Amino acid sequence: MRTRGLLAAAASAVFAAAVTACGSSPPPSSSSSTAISFNDAACGSAWHLARPGWHTFEITNRADNGAEVDLTNPANGAVYDELENIGPGTTAPMSLDVGSGKYAFLCLVQDFDPVTGPTVTVSGHTAGTAAILPITYNDLYSLDKEYGQYTESGLQILARDTTRLAADVRGRNLAAAKREWLTAHLQYETLGAAYDAFGTYDDEIDGRADAVGVNSPKWTGFYRLEYGLWHGQSVHELIGVADTLNLDVHKLLGWWPGQQIPLLDIGLRTHEILENALEFQLTGHDDYGSGTTLATTLANIQGTRYLLSLLHPLLVPRYPQLPEVYTGLSLLQSLLEKERLGNGWWVPVSSLPTAARQQIDAACGQVLQELAPIASIAEPRNTAHEF
Amino acid sequence: MSSESAEPTEGAKVTGPDEPVNPPGPGRRSFLRGMVGGVAGGVVVGGIAGAATGHAYGASGTGTDPAAAANLAELEGRLPAVPFHGKHQAGILPQPKAATAVISFNATAESRAELTELFQTVTDRARFLTAGGTPPPVGIGGPSSDSGTLGPTVIPDGLTVTFGVGPTLFDDRYGLASRLPAHLTPMKSFPNDNLDPAQCGGDLILQLTAGHEDVVLHALRDIAKNARGGMQANWRIDGFSSPARPAGTVPRNQLGFMDGIANPSVENPKELNELVWVQPGAAGEPSWTAGGSYFVVRLIRMFVEFWDRVDVYEQQLMFGRYRDSGYPLDAQGIYATPDYAADPTGDVIPLTAHMRLANPRTLQTASSRILRRAWSYDRGLDQVGDLDVGLVFTCYQQDIKRQFETVQTRLINEPLVDYISPFGGGYFLALPGVVDNSDYFGRALLA
Repeated sequence: MRTRGLLAAAASAVFAAAVTACGSSPPPSSSSSTAISFNDAACGSAWHLARPGWHTFEITNRADNGAEVDLTNPANGAVYDELENIGPGTTAPMSLDVGSGKYAFLCLVQDFDPVTGPTVTVSGHTAGTAAILPITYNDLYSLDKEYGQYTESGLQILARDTTRLAADVRGRNLAAAKREWLTAHLQYETLGAAYDAFGTYDDEIDGRADAVGVNSPKWTGFYRLEYGLWHGQSVHELIGVADTLNLDVHKLLGWWPGQQIPLLDIGLRTHEILENALEFQLTGHDDYGSGTTLATTLANIQGTRYLLSLLHPLLVPRYPQLPEVYTGLSLLQSLLEKERLGNGWWVPVSSLPTAARQQIDAACGQVLQELAPIASIAEPRNTAHEF
Repeated sequence: MSSESAEPTEGAKVTGPDEPVNPPGPGRRSFLRGMVGGVAGGVVVGGIAGAATGHAYGASGTGTDPAAAANLAELEGRLPAVPFHGKHQAGILPQPKAATAVISFNATAESRAELTELFQTVTDRARFLTAGGTPPPVGIGGPSSDSGTLGPTVIPDGLTVTFGVGPTLFDDRYGLASRLPAHLTPMKSFPNDNLDPAQCGGDLILQLTAGHEDVVLHALRDIAKNARGGMQANWRIDGFSSPARPAGTVPRNQLGFMDGIANPSVENPKELNELVWVQPGAAGEPSWTAGGSYFVVRLIRMFVEFWDRVDVYEQQLMFGRYRDSGYPLDAQGIYATPDYAADPTGDVIPLTAHMRLANPRTLQTASSRILRRAWSYDRGLDQVGDLDVGLVFTCYQQDIKRQFETVQTRLINEPLVDYISPFGGGYFLALPGVVDNSDYFGRALLA
């Protein structure tokens, strides 16, 4: 909503024109459906549509293995719609608004080469569900590599931060330790896309107390240290906590090279990082005393932006609302930065005036809506040429 | 808590005053297109050369036939669609349906233009949801446009969407200060109120009512999702209206008494013009309010455990009616008019009885009558393990001071106050109706 792109308005106009020209398309319930069946050697037969409009294909897998079926534009492999995981012998519906253009099914039966069905032309000048050029595994490999290196450099910085943090605690300089804690924690929080890839290290380094309780010796990491630093726990107790954190970070740093983030995660994390921020930071759930969850959200935005910068060239031709994502992130960022205090600390979420909190929550919710389609668009897909 | 009127209407079935049924056309642009129009104009291949494709949001409602949806609804035992378009909002006059939700929002739109976009988006979604239909497929371009909680086809189930504005919207944020409705003020706190600021007021109010809870919740999710950046919820309460028991009577509230027996006639335009619809021009009422109605929401806890420890005879004296039959204590028939003149000292119906104070049925008090619409709420338990249940009281009127506040002032210290506690709500103006496909909520206000 922050910037109304001209493109969207144009799309609206075109669609309106299309509707006016053809009358209202019939709903799926009253539209005809077409049966399509495939096996490992053939991908459906020619079908015919009297006119463009909402249509359902009932697709039956007559192969012996599971399969994926895409409805594509045979000219360039762009995908109108897809059905994943169709079991052998089962039928699944694919409903879409079939516009004027060329169509061909692509059947990807497990353990067999992909098969492309006959090309069907739907005549006329009516727009339907848009086709999107699939993003392939190949497209994502290099990004994944870059992300791995970003993570490695991030972990190197983090390891230096936690080394200083542990030293501050050992030196009984708790004021410095608190500042160093914030620096280190925010550094960790910029590595959002890597969480799952960190395995159990993430629990050890950034785990919440929820499952075990704040008094459990099993609770370790940043939040544990935050709780201790801001609840007047003894230096004696905190030394162990800070050393463990530092040790775990160094273990992660040593383990990381050679690890890989699942390709699917690159797209998913573009909204999941901030979904987590909304759930745990903007609610104040993860405030264990320092009142810095707004800063954490900013660090999460930084992580999100890095992912977007990698995907950017792939998204530009596929996602016209991309500029609104950046506008939305900037708005959220500016609202959060207003809550930075002069002394380097932050207004705790629980102390925010209602209006400020509502602005932040609304901006976060809005940008999440705009980020969400990226996960679908950036899902790595097989194509006829690359399988 | 109730308004009594001289002209009762029995279960009037009103689905909207005088509006024609308009077929849905192409929807307006959306406040947020991220999740639905997401692929609009993406890599357009296979479509018409150069043509951006995909649906701009409001188009959700365009691929479908509302008549078919209504027929389907009836087959499934659900209520038919209530026409959305009309001079007045369609949710004001009908009798309470089974399920409702009232949600207060603050506007977070950053400018007047964005606020307008927000109102257009709410309009678009309301138009689609009340008509029903099949949400558009999105292909591989993003998550589904619909939550799917009603299945693949959105059933209208008598859904009404009532949208209103509170006094705080008219501060300096949107340049609307000069357009403040003449009678719109912050909600007054009455002597027996126990108002929680967190559950009071709001820039905007939304009431969704339908035949079933799932339809109400589906609509709320849809509207909230599409309006995400433009408004943020403050408080919310869900309510239900029970079937009349025995059949043919009037639904009861959680005190066991029939609620809202006497109301102005919703089929009498003269009475509605005198009591319910705002009359612009009178008393400095701005012209944009034409067709609107002041909307008071009061959230009222009922201490039902305490109430259940009171004998029925005493309960009846507090209301002035028989609990079982709903008859006035001095008459035979639910809709019989109590004869207060014949009982000047309150020997039969005490002078402090709720219905007698609320509506004394005199010429002088006739103009204070309100159109009362109430639901029960059930929010679980309180801190001592008692049931947190009560009333979502709403009423419509032409002038809050002349009507609701006058009635409520008469009710101060009525005997019933020991068993109830108003804790939230607010004063709003239910906006004028949306007259056709090119109109939207608040168009005259925002113009």
